[in-house]
Amino acid sequence: MLPGRSRTSVLVFLVPPLLLYAVAVALPILQSLVLSFFSWDGVTDLQPVGLANYVKMFTADPIFWKAFANTMIYLAVCLFFQLGVSLFVANLLSYAGRGKEVAKTLYLLPAIISTVAIAFLFQRIYSYEPPGLINQILTTVGLGDLARPWLSEVNTVLVAVSAPEGWRFTGLYMLILYAAILAVPKELEEAARLDGASTWQVFAHVRFPYIRPVWVTTMIMAATYSLRGFDIPYLLTNGGPGQASELLTTYMFKTAFRSTDFGYASTIAVFIVIECIVAVGLILLLLRRGTDKS
Amino acid sequence: MTTGLHAPVAARVSGPERRRRLHLARNFASLLVLLIVIVQVYPLVWLFVTSLRPAQEFAGGNAFGIPSALTWDNYARAFASADLGRYIFNSLVVTGASSILIVLLGMMAAYAIQVLGFKGSRIVMGAFLLGIIVPVQIALVPLFINYSRVGLLNTYQSMIIPLVGFALPTSVYLFVSFFEYIPKETYEAAALDGAGPFRVFFEITMPLSTNTVITVVFVNGIFIWNDFIFANTFVFEETMKTIPLGLQNFIGAMGSVDWTATFAAVCVTVTPLLLVFLIMNKAIIYGLESGATKG
Repeated sequence: MLPGRSRTSVLVFLVPPLLLYAVAVALPILQSLVLSFFSWDGVTDLQPVGLANYVKMFTADPIFWKAFANTMIYLAVCLFFQLGVSLFVANLLSYAGRGKEVAKTLYLLPAIISTVAIAFLFQRIYSYEPPGLINQILTTVGLGDLARPWLSEVNTVLVAVSAPEGWRFTGLYMLILYAAILAVPKELEEAARLDGASTWQVFAHVRFPYIRPVWVTTMIMAATYSLRGFDIPYLLTNGGPGQASELLTTYMFKTAFRSTDFGYASTIAVFIVIECIVAVGLILLLLRRGTDKS
Repeated sequence: MTTGLHAPVAARVSGPERRRRLHLARNFASLLVLLIVIVQVYPLVWLFVTSLRPAQEFAGGNAFGIPSALTWDNYARAFASADLGRYIFNSLVVTGASSILIVLLGMMAAYAIQVLGFKGSRIVMGAFLLGIIVPVQIALVPLFINYSRVGLLNTYQSMIIPLVGFALPTSVYLFVSFFEYIPKETYEAAALDGAGPFRVFFEITMPLSTNTVITVVFVNGIFIWNDFIFANTFVFEETMKTIPLGLQNFIGAMGSVDWTATFAAVCVTVTPLLLVFLIMNKAIIYGLESGATKG
């Protein structure tokens, strides 16, 4: 505590940030909670409906469950890229020779491109007529049978809209994990290696336990960001065809601003928040069990 | 060392043999890194090449090969059909104002919590931390309603307020973790010299925080520059559109999609951030790394 501070000085520093935070974040959360118990189209009067929105969401809305299942697959694809691929590349990079700095910079590039530009790009990459990049490559290597309109087929569209989101942040998470790997004491790995440990063993028993806290942070970041993923599916397919690539976020957005059903949209929004908090809780639980074991 | 990936406990290898293997593994790893970088960057290079490719050639099927000629026509059409300058200006205003607020407000809150200290500071910190995991979608409907009541739709503020609000938690957190490292004696000495909390803030805390400021600005700046969801929800007037929104609108403005011109527009709008990124990449990479590893 700073000597000579006064109550006023604390308030002067604390009130402006809290005020903005209240207006932009805290108040809207409360408003959403309240709205989720009402039915409202934005024009007529608010109609209190009790728990009806929640009952409808859990028991009578197949689109909600479809969107929830899609969100889980979207999350899995994103985590595959952002935790799996990024960890693999970070390790590769630690063994590579020259040019690491350039590789890091280039690898991060997709993260600074706007989602709108990325959606344009992937619309062309997935295109069927005229053939886009993927279909051209498939035809060239003799797998032309596999060529298909990736974004309009029910079976492929969900993975097709998830991959760009995973792809664009792989570099970011790779960078974070790489920084953590650099901090692993070289003597530890060297000692293990002299004892005859293979690269895999060094990774599993020395390196990974050491970077584990950072990996968990990465996991929390990647999971919460993926659960709120919206832009790319919204721009590429708008949840279509049908509801094949509908996420909870796009469904919530449409419910609010297409169907102007603000009450029910708030109910879905509340669910998305709870889903994020549960995800973080599960990851932390996993972390605690992991550390207890070792 | 990638060569020994699946070996069980490898037999102890002699010195020169070890070095040879290490060398081989290093080359192999470098090659793989190069391949992955190509996969990662090729789409972006293609985007740029396409923006210079004659429109007929793109439509005529040769969309991915080496272009037969390079042309600036696409750029001319891009500028003719949309007010790209306006979008860039709007994005600069929103990103600039948001960044200043995120840094200033984040620093103030962290100063009150960590340096001045008060009863219940842990509760305030907890309230801020909660904001890190709350998804932005929760705020869309309430903010839309509130904005329409007070006439804030289609303004810069409508984007700046939530962008700052949702970035504030990480900002506060980063500044608090940094302020922990400033020794108490520094403040006590200043206080003995008669400096009040305000002078200490402006003359000690602020100048020492340069690195954290850079981290906070870059981590948030990229996301704010590219923000789509708030702009898409709160702004519909052409004159207030930021780059992501203007680009999306681009396709509609042309009726049938003029892809080469669209990609030219993408290139124009990506350029400012790309330049900053390439010039400052060391600082940005440092910022992103420390931003996450501290968390």
